[in-house]
Amino acid sequence: MATRSQFENSSDIGVFAKLTNAYCLVAVGGSENFYSVFESELADHIPVVKAPVAGTRLVGRMTAGNKNGLLLPNTTTDQEMMHIRNSLPDEVVVQRIDERLSALGNCIACNDYVALIHPDMDKETEELVADVLGVEVFHQSIAGNVLVGSYCAFTNQGGMVHPKTTEQDMDELSSLLQLPIVAGTINRGSDVIGAGLVVNDWTAFCGIDTTATEMSVIESVFKLREAQPSAVVKEMRASLIDSLV
Amino acid sequence: MPLYNFKQMHVVPSAAAFIDIVLSRTQRQTPTVCRSGWKISRVRQFYMRKVKHTQQTWHEALTQILEDFPRVDDIHPFYGDLLNVLYDKDHYKLALGQLNVARSLIDKLAQDYIRLLKYGDSLYRCKCLKRAALGRMVTLMKRQAASLKYLEQVRQHMSRLPSVDPNVRTLLMCGYPNVGKSSFMNLVTRADVEVEPYAFTTKSLYVGHMDYRYLRWQVIDTPGLLDRPLEDRNTIEMQSITALAHLRAAILYIVDISEECGYSIAQQAALFHSIKPLFVNKPVLIVCNKIDVTSMESLGEKDQKILTEMAKEAGRLGLSGAFLEHSADGYKGSLLSMTTLKEDGVMAVRNTACDQLLEHRVEAKMKGKRFGDVLNRIRVAMPNSGINPDRPPVIPSSVTQAQAMDEDNQKKTEKDLQEERGGAGVYSADFHKHYLLENDSWKYDIMPEIWDGHNIIDFVDADIDAKLEELQQEEEELLAKFERQRAQFGGIPELTAEERSLLEDIRARKAKIIADHRRAKAVADNRGVIPKKHNTDGSLNTSGMRRSLERMGMDPSLAVERARRQSRGRSADRSRNASSRAAGAEDEEMEDVPEAMKRVHSTKSRSMSRGRSLSLMAPKKGSGLKDVAIKNKALKMADRAQRRMNKLARRGEADRHIPCLRPKHLLTGTRGIGKNQRR
Repeated sequence: MATRSQFENSSDIGVFAKLTNAYCLVAVGGSENFYSVFESELADHIPVVKAPVAGTRLVGRMTAGNKNGLLLPNTTTDQEMMHIRNSLPDEVVVQRIDERLSALGNCIACNDYVALIHPDMDKETEELVADVLGVEVFHQSIAGNVLVGSYCAFTNQGGMVHPKTTEQDMDELSSLLQLPIVAGTINRGSDVIGAGLVVNDWTAFCGIDTTATEMSVIESVFKLREAQPSAVVKEMRASLIDSLV
Repeated sequence: MPLYNFKQMHVVPSAAAFIDIVLSRTQRQTPTVCRSGWKISRVRQFYMRKVKHTQQTWHEALTQILEDFPRVDDIHPFYGDLLNVLYDKDHYKLALGQLNVARSLIDKLAQDYIRLLKYGDSLYRCKCLKRAALGRMVTLMKRQAASLKYLEQVRQHMSRLPSVDPNVRTLLMCGYPNVGKSSFMNLVTRADVEVEPYAFTTKSLYVGHMDYRYLRWQVIDTPGLLDRPLEDRNTIEMQSITALAHLRAAILYIVDISEECGYSIAQQAALFHSIKPLFVNKPVLIVCNKIDVTSMESLGEKDQKILTEMAKEAGRLGLSGAFLEHSADGYKGSLLSMTTLKEDGVMAVRNTACDQLLEHRVEAKMKGKRFGDVLNRIRVAMPNSGINPDRPPVIPSSVTQAQAMDEDNQKKTEKDLQEERGGAGVYSADFHKHYLLENDSWKYDIMPEIWDGHNIIDFVDADIDAKLEELQQEEEELLAKFERQRAQFGGIPELTAEERSLLEDIRARKAKIIADHRRAKAVADNRGVIPKKHNTDGSLNTSGMRRSLERMGMDPSLAVERARRQSRGRSADRSRNASSRAAGAEDEEMEDVPEAMKRVHSTKSRSMSRGRSLSLMAPKKGSGLKDVAIKNKALKMADRAQRRMNKLARRGEADRHIPCLRPKHLLTGTRGIGKNQRR
C-alpha cells in the first residue's frame, strides 16, 4: 500500500519521517495531521514516534536505521536521545555517532541486511554502521551522486534509484544489494527519491505530488499489495513510455 | 497544464471607455496648472509632456491588446483553425491589424505635434496645439470602435473555450447528431454534458478527463456532423471537423444502429466514408450504439455488410495509413457495440480505444530520439545470483493478519484527538503516551536534566551495575596484590628520630628556597632578571659588578647605586630613603659636590607660577581655610547664596539659549507655491 501525504505543504516527506520495519520516526509538526497519516497506517504494528533530532524536524535526513538499530548524529541532544530510547523497543539499539557528515539519512541508505554509505565516511563510522545496524556495508555513489541516502530508497524487497542511473550501474547495484532495482522518479519528476519516499517491507508513503504512474512503479518494485517488479516491464510498459517520452 | 491560457487575456474596453480611460489618466498623471507668467520654454515643455503622455498611454494599452490575442498562424493548427471557424480569421486579423495601424498613427501624430510645440510662441498657441493633438488621437481611436467591440466579443468567447491540450492522449467522439456521443462522454468522464433527445444539443466542443492505466486521458465530445460538402457545413459542424483534423486522438465513430436518430445505417456509413480522410494515421473504432433497441444480430444482412465494410476501412486507416491486407475477421477489433442507456459495453469501448491509442503513441515514440534516454527506466535490474533466500522481508505477523482481514478499523488517531481538543495550535500532543518502559507507571516520571551540576544522562547506563561490580572486583584484586607484595618485602621501615629531624630540615630548606624565589620574582616586577642557569655560582650580582668595574679603572659608585635603586620594589621606605638621602646629602656630601651643581629652589619657583594642569584634581571645596569649623561655615554660606537662584529657576549662563525663535529673515517675503522651507 502506498499513501500520498505532505508535511506542512512540503511534499518531501522523506525529510520529515524515517520508516523501518521495526519503528517509525516522525517530525514534530505544527499539527497532528502528518503524524496521523503514519499513525493510522502503522500504529497497530510498530511504534510511531514523534521526535525532534538535533533540535530540527529533519528526522528522515538526520538519522539512519533499520529494524536492528538507529543511528543518530552527534548533534542530537541527550533529551532527544532519551525520548527516542524510551519510545523504541529494547531490541533496537540507539546509538549516537561522531561523524563529520552529520546528515546520516543523506549519507547512509540501508535495509535490514545491506547498507550503502557515502564514499567519504570514516572507517569507524563504517564499523559502527555494520555493528549497530547488523549489515554489510559498501561505499557507493548513485548516478555520480555521493549522497546515497538521498538518491535511492530500498527495502528488503526491492529498491528505487535516481532516474539517470545507467543500466550498468543498476545491474551492479542490484547484484550488490541482491534486490530488484528500478530507476524512477517521485513527486512528479523529482529525482531525490529519498526525500520523496519513505518505505518499508509492507507499506510506502510518498509525497502528495506523486503521479499515478510513479505510484504504480513504487508499488510493484517494493512488492506492496502482491504487485511484482516485473509489472514495470510488462503491464505498465506502455503507460511508462507514454508518460516519460 | 493547458498549453494556451485564453482566460488571462485583459478586457478590451469599448472605444468610448478607452478614450475616457486614457484622457483621465493623462489628466491625473501630468501637472494641471500652467501660468501665464512662466517662461515660454516651460510652457512648451508642459504641453509637450501632455501630448507625449497621452501617446504613451495609448501605445501601451494597444500593445497590451495586440500581445494578448494569439496570432492565428503561430499557435497550434487546431486552435488556429478553431479561431478561424469561430471568429473568421480574416476579420480577426483585420481587427488586430487596424489596431496596430492606429497605434503607429498615434505615435507618428504625437511626434509631429511635439515638433510643432517646439515652435509654439505663446501659452495660447501651445494649448491649441495640445488640444489638436489629443483630439486627433481620440478621433483615430473612435474609428476603431467596431474593431474593439469585435475583439472584446472574441475575447469573451475565447475565455470560455474548453482548454484542449492538442498533444495529450485524447479520445474523440464523432458521428451524426443524436447518436449518443454526449451520453458516452457522461459515462466515461464526469464532464456532465447536456444530453437531450434532439439533434445539435451539443453546439461546441466539450472536454472531459478520465484516468486509465495510470494515465490521464482527455475525452472530447464534438457536435454532430451531417453528410454534406465541407463548404456547406455550418460553424457548429466545422468545430468537429477542426478537432478531427488536427488532434492526434483515438476516433470513436459512433453509429446509431437503431436508426432512432433519424438517419439510416447506410447514411451514417456514407458520412464515415466522406470524412475518412481525416482519420488517416489515427486509431479508429466503429462503435455501434443503442444495441438495447436493436441488437447486432437482428440487423439485416445489408446493414451488417455496411458495418463490416466500415470496420475494415477503420482498421486500414489505423495502420499508419498503409492499406494493409487484413485477415477475414481482422476488422473485428475495430467494430464494437454498446448501449449508453443500459451502460453495457461502454467500458469495453473505452478500454479498447485507449489501448489502441496508447499502442499507437508508444510505437511512434519508440522511433523518436528521446526514447533512448528513458530505456533505463522501463526495465528492472535483477541480481545475477537471484534473490537471496537468506534475506527474507521482515513483516510483522500483525500486518499480514490485518491485510488478510482487510477490515477498516477506525481507530482514534492523534488527529481526531487534536480536533476534539481545540484543533492545531491549541492541542499539545502527549509525547510520553507510547513509551515502552518496564513499568507503565514510570511513563510520566519527571527526569531532571541536571542534578548537582551533573548531566544525568552521562550517568545513565544500562550495564552500570555490571560495570561497577567489575570495577570493585578489580580494585579488590589490586589491593590484595599490594598486600601480598608488602608481606613479601616486609613493608616500609620506620624512620629514626635523627632521620626525621633531617627530613624536616630538608623540607624547611626547600620551602625557603621556593619562598625566596617567589619574592624575588614578585619584586623584580617586569624587569629583566638574570636566569638562575646563567648565574649558577651567584657571582653575577652588584658587588661582582663593582669589583669588575674597579678592575677596569672606573668609578663604580653611581652604577652600583642605580642598580640598587632599580632592584628595590616600590614601597614606602623607598621614598622615605630618598628624602632622607636628600636631607643627608646636604650635610654629608656638602664638601664633595661642587657649588655650581647644587640646585636651590626659590619660593618663586617655576611650578608656582604655572597654571594648574588639567590632569590634576581641582582643589577640594573649602580647602585653604583655617580649620574644619570655618570650612563648614564657608560651605554653608555658599549654599545659602545659591538657594534663591535655584528656587526662582532663573536662566543661568549654563542653560541652552536660542537668541531668536522666529528669525525674521527666514519668515518674511513671498512664498512661491505655499512653502517657506526653501532654505
